[in-house]
Order: sequence, then structure tokens, then C-alpha cells
Amino acid sequence: MFHVHYSRFLVQRIAFLVVGNVLLLLAIFVLVQDGGSFADVILNAAPNVAPTVLAGLGLTGIICAGAIDLSVGSIIAVAGTVFGVLVHRQVPPFVCYAGCVATAWCLSVLNGYLVRGLGISAIIVTLAGLAFYRGLALILADSAITGFGGNISIQDDAYHSPGKVYAGAILILTIAAAGIWENSSKTPSKWLALGNSEEACRLAGLSSGRILQTAYGAGGVFLGLAALIYVTRIQAIEPARIALGFELQVIGAVILGGTNIFGGEGRYIGTVLGSLFLYLLSEFLVYAGVNPYFQEVVAGAIILFVIGLDCAMHRKRKMLEEVA
Amino acid sequence: MSGLLLELDSIAKSFGGIAALKPVQLKLRAGEVLGLVGENGAGKSTLIKILSGVERPDSGQILWNGHAVAFESPFQALEAGIATIHQELAYFGRLSVAENLMMGDPWPRYRWGGVNWKDLHREAKTRLNRCGLNIPTHRLFNELSSAQKQEIAIARALSRKSRLLILDEPTASLSEPEVERLFSQLNKLRRQGVSILYVSHRLDEILELTDRVAVLRDGELVASYSTNSVDLNRIVKDMVGRPLDQVFPRNRASEIGSPMLELRGVSRSPFFYDISFKAHAGEIVGLAGLVGAGRSGLARAIYGLYPIESGKMCLLGREWRPRSPCEAVRSGLVYLPEERKRQGFVLDHSVRDSISIGFSDLITKCGLIPRRLEDSRVEAACRRFSIRTSSIRQPIRTLSGGNQQKCLLARWLDRDPAVIVLDEPTRGVDIGAKAEIHALIDQLAGQGKAVLLISSDLPEVLGMSDRILVMHRGRVSDELRGERMTQENVIMAASGMCAK
Repeated sequence: MFHVHYSRFLVQRIAFLVVGNVLLLLAIFVLVQDGGSFADVILNAAPNVAPTVLAGLGLTGIICAGAIDLSVGSIIAVAGTVFGVLVHRQVPPFVCYAGCVATAWCLSVLNGYLVRGLGISAIIVTLAGLAFYRGLALILADSAITGFGGNISIQDDAYHSPGKVYAGAILILTIAAAGIWENSSKTPSKWLALGNSEEACRLAGLSSGRILQTAYGAGGVFLGLAALIYVTRIQAIEPARIALGFELQVIGAVILGGTNIFGGEGRYIGTVLGSLFLYLLSEFLVYAGVNPYFQEVVAGAIILFVIGLDCAMHRKRKMLEEVA
Repeated sequence: MSGLLLELDSIAKSFGGIAALKPVQLKLRAGEVLGLVGENGAGKSTLIKILSGVERPDSGQILWNGHAVAFESPFQALEAGIATIHQELAYFGRLSVAENLMMGDPWPRYRWGGVNWKDLHREAKTRLNRCGLNIPTHRLFNELSSAQKQEIAIARALSRKSRLLILDEPTASLSEPEVERLFSQLNKLRRQGVSILYVSHRLDEILELTDRVAVLRDGELVASYSTNSVDLNRIVKDMVGRPLDQVFPRNRASEIGSPMLELRGVSRSPFFYDISFKAHAGEIVGLAGLVGAGRSGLARAIYGLYPIESGKMCLLGREWRPRSPCEAVRSGLVYLPEERKRQGFVLDHSVRDSISIGFSDLITKCGLIPRRLEDSRVEAACRRFSIRTSSIRQPIRTLSGGNQQKCLLARWLDRDPAVIVLDEPTRGVDIGAKAEIHALIDQLAGQGKAVLLISSDLPEVLGMSDRILVMHRGRVSDELRGERMTQENVIMAASGMCAK
């Protein structure tokens, strides 16, 4: 039933990730035997891994189309602040959730407009957004809440259900929906087409601006869900620090999943497996008792190794193309 | 019989003040196959770009089916029925064959809105079959051979019910049997009433396939005749046309010294194969051939930009295995790239920085560059190479093409290299600066350097060189010396037909 094809490179990468994930799970299973329940580890995984996976799905489309979004962390900060402000005003939970998702979606669409409208490379536009949106979140919190002291506390359990109760369900349903969308829409093919060759898109009568816009629009939907889970699983929203550096984690997961950082190649399943791999790796390091200072180093080294290998291969290919 | 399909009325185009096409008149009837020939830079590509909507003409008009049209984009030309297959195929390498074929069209869908991939592949297969092709539609485009890519390009062009098919050097990367398959397809199309504009350097193909031949030279349509009534020599004469009236300087001594650079059976697929030659001190060796014949690839391999696969190179009598261009520069071999703007310069740098980068390592003291010494050397170089600039702090982009090229020469020649590889040194340079650069090259050879001169400018390569190697499809097809150094012989050898 799946007609979407996978290049040999992607098949290899996915196989690598599947094997890696299974090995990590086994290792955690063995390590967790003394003093803990493996089931708890699995159940706790959903809220922790969901934001990365969801934001990663959105970014996969954007990167496949040859663009990027570096401002996802800051967008989550704005969405989280909007959520916090609404909760502070004691608005019903569903309105708060909708406000959070809508804010993230709108900012992602705005990114798309800026990239296509200004004709500036996505990396610059969204790098500016990274700083701009973070500041926006602080201004918003400061002006909407009297006596804002750096964080917005959310104690009422009624406002935590997406992050604490339904994270797993949201995650699985979204992944399933993404999989169906990938297999039954022309749009993902257009993203890949744009990432492959803008010139060829022009010749085929496609508007590269519109394609880019759909990538950011779809990315916004995923990012909205990611933000929702991210902000409802914590007790206090700190606009200055929430999701700081999150974009690097997400991009890492996407690239690890086999998406070409220069666009034109990538699949959703790779991103899902890549995020899972990064999460299991960090859990494994915790259970293995590795010094917390070293955990980050090891995680970074592994990303560098996998992606560095990729870039080296890409460079060689690019050199040959340039010479030809 | 058949009516006029396309008429070009005084179409002209110039780039940056240099006329690429002088007012050109061209007519094409329905079902006719017209061959378009000319040297590199004669204006063929410009003409194709105008017809396919990539470029807009400066003046004149295009009559398509009797109506005046102005294509704003390649897509409009495509919609009107002009399909162009460019030399570099614009395709989606990492999408499947089916997606590539169908990207511009609506895709078949299920009633609930999802893409019906089965029908999509079936439709793509039908389109391929219609052109007699049997390529699995699930394959990724990148995994196909270049012939298959070409065939799919044609299949896609035809699926749009095009009435005019423009092919730009379609056989450049095809083998003999593949060329024959292409021709039988093109003949089938001709019988169906599709007009074809066939652009090729390979005159044998032009004679075999076309009904009529049009010759472009220096942006002008100089001749047009029916293929039956013409022979090869006539076409070649019209292509070269211009007499060798330019005077090339020759003040250097005629005796040549010891070999400086020697190549023995050097290969690097897919760029060049089995290249052997020697370049001696005080000698200018011309390297002629068509664009894409492997000349630049060879030059870059000699310069150490990428390794060779087999064979042996010697520089100044020692074995030469460069690992990087840096090593080449230090060993006394310099290369002036073909695309000045892209490969040669940082355009915002000043004249001083652009020149001194070539020798600043020689004058550096304790990691610092003495400014005064740098300035005086740059100023001396500017005088020596007569670079016209108001100040050495002027950004390089404000200089004319000729002056930029002289800066590039100055950059490397201040190191006093032994071997100099020049890739199209006078492209896009006005006549005055051209003469100065020619004089400089002559002077360099006179100082006992070996010069390898790559040029598509026939009079230049003939006038400057002591002998000429002609490349064709990655191999040296002929070596011309003395009396045999004529424009006709170069063209013959470059298009793969050795005049014996």
C-alpha cells in the first residue's frame, strides 16, 4: 500500500536507527532491572519524546523543501507564554490549548511569508526570528501579567492533560496522520522536488514560493502540537528559558533520521526514529550511570559522527558535480 | 504544404554591452527539422534561451503560429507548445521517474482525495511506452543512466503535446546505439508533424538528421541551406568564416627548452581519458575543443583540484602527484580559472587584496604582512600588467573584465611560476585588453615558462599557440602543428571527425 519509495541511503539509515533503538531498549531493560520498572520508562517516554518528534515532523518537510526553521524553540516560548497568560486569566483549558497551538502555527506561517516575501535565505530569517520571538515572549508576559516575576506558575491539574495524560495518544495519532499524509498527498513530493531543484520546479510550472509556504504551514501544525505538549507537561513556564536550544535538538533528530540538510531527501519515519534514538540514548546514559557532564558530550559526539559522515559523502558528490 | 510554425523577426540580445545575438531572422515550418550550428559562443545558447522563455530578447519579436508572443517564463513557452531539452537537464534527482514525469500535471486521486499511486505509475508507464521506452517508473531519477535521463526528458516534453522540440547538444553524453535510438525517435516525431530545432556540435549528426541547416557566427545568422544541397566543408567554412586578420604578437624566441610538464596516459573518468603530452619551457600549447570535451577538467586535475585515476604526471622532471592546489602553487604551477567571477575572485575585495593573496605568504614576517612592502609590490604589478585602476583600494568588481583578468594574472605571476595553465583567459574581455593579455602571454613564454592555453576562441588559440591539442569527448583527438593548424582542422577534430 505504500507507494512512497525510499532511496538506498534512507533504507540504510532507517535500518541503522531501528537496530540502534532496539539495542538501546534492550540495554535499558537490562540496566533498569535493579530498582525500577521498565514499563514506567516506556510510559514516561511519551511526554518527553513527543515535542521533539512532533516539531521534527514539521521541520522534516521544511528541510526537505531546502529551507530551515531555527526559531522553533522561540516559537514554543511565545506559544507557551500565550498559554500561560490565558491560564493566568483563568480561561477554560480548551481555549488555552487552542491559543497555544494557534500561536505556534501563526508564527511558523509568518516565517514562511518572510522567507518567500523578503527573498532572504531561511537560515537568516529564522535566525532573526530566534531572537525576536524570544523577546516577544518576554514582552508579552511582562505586559499581560502584573507583577511578572520571570515565570508563570500553572498548578491546576486541569491544564496539564495534553502533556501528562494524552501525550502518547497525541503522538501516535499524529505520527499515523503524518504517515497517511505522506503517502496520499502530492504536497510532500513537491517539497522534495523544490529541495532537489528550484529550476526544475519553475520549468514544471510550480511556484516555489507557494511550495515553501505549504511546508511552513504544515510545519506549524506539527509545531503547535509540539508546543502544546511541551508547555502542559511542566508546572511553570519561564519565557526566558523554556525550550532554549530546542531547535538544535530537533534539527539533530531530523538529520539523524536521514533527511538531507540541504533539502531534497527525507521521510517522516526517519525523523521519528531519529528522535527516539536521541531520547533512548540519553536515557541509557542516565541508567548506565554516566557522569551527567559526560552525557551531553557523548550525545553530541554521536550526532557529530553520524552527520559528519553524511556531510563528507555529500561534499565528495558535490565536488564531482561542480567539476562536471 | 505545411505552414510556418515559428518566425523570429530581428531578435537581438546583448549581455553587459556585448552583443550575443545581433538581429536574427529565422523561420521554421511545421514538421521540419532544423539544425543549428556554430562555434562556442556563436549565440546558439542565447537563441535557445529566448525561445524557451528563459531570457527575454532586447528587441524584435517572435511569431508563433502567426501570432506575436512574448514568453515571460519557461513554463509559458512550454504551455504554448515549445519544449526545450537543455544541456543540463533540470530534474528532480531524488524523486522517482513517475514523479518526474508527472510533476507539472494533476495527479490521479482516489475519491477521498488521496493520491492514487498505482494510477500515477500506470499513467507514467503509458507515457514512456508511447515513446517506446521501458524504464521502471519506481526508480529514482539519479539512478538512471544519462541516456535514460535524456529519453525521459524527451518523453516528458512530448507528453505535453509540444509542437516544437528544441534539443541542445542531446548526444553529448550518449553512446552510439543510444544516439541511433534517439534519432529513430526524432524521425518518428517528425512524421507526426513535430518541428525540431536540433543544436549540435557534431556535424555528422546534423547531416544525417536535419532538413535544413542554419549557421550562427558571432551572434549573426550567416547562412542557411537545405541539408541535401550542402556538404560538410561548406558548413565548416561558414562556421569559421572570419578571416584570421587579428595580429597576434610573437616576440618570443622560437626555440623551446626542456619539458616542464609531462603527462603520460592520464585518465579521470568521466572527464578525460588517456591524455599524454609534454609542455616545454618557452612553449605555448593550445588546448582546443568543444565545451564539455574535458579541457577544464584536465586543467584542474593538473592543478591538483582532484586526483587522477591512472597515468603519470611529471612537473619539472619530478613526478607530480598534487594533493591540493596549494601544493601546485608552491611547486611553481598556477591555474587561472575559466569563470573569473565565480572561481577567481572575492568580488568585494580590493585590487590590492586580490593581487597580494597570490604572494602574501612570501613576504609575511612573523605572521604579519608588511603593508608598505605589500603596497609597493602590488603597485609594481599594476604597472607591469598595465592594470587600470584609480586606486589599489578599489573593489575588484568595479574593474572591467579585461582588468580583472590582468589582476588574476598579476596575482600568480608575481610568484614567478614555471608552468601556467590559462583557462579561457580572454572570455568576456574587450579587444584592447585582449591584445594586452596576448602580449603578456607571449612575454611569459619568452621568459621560459611553459603555457597551457585553453581557449574556445579559434583565432586566439591558433594565433598564440606553438601547437594545438584538440580534445573530443575526453580524449585528444588530434595534435596540430605548423601547416595543419587551421580553423577547419580544429573544428573537424573537435567534432570528432579527423580530417586526414
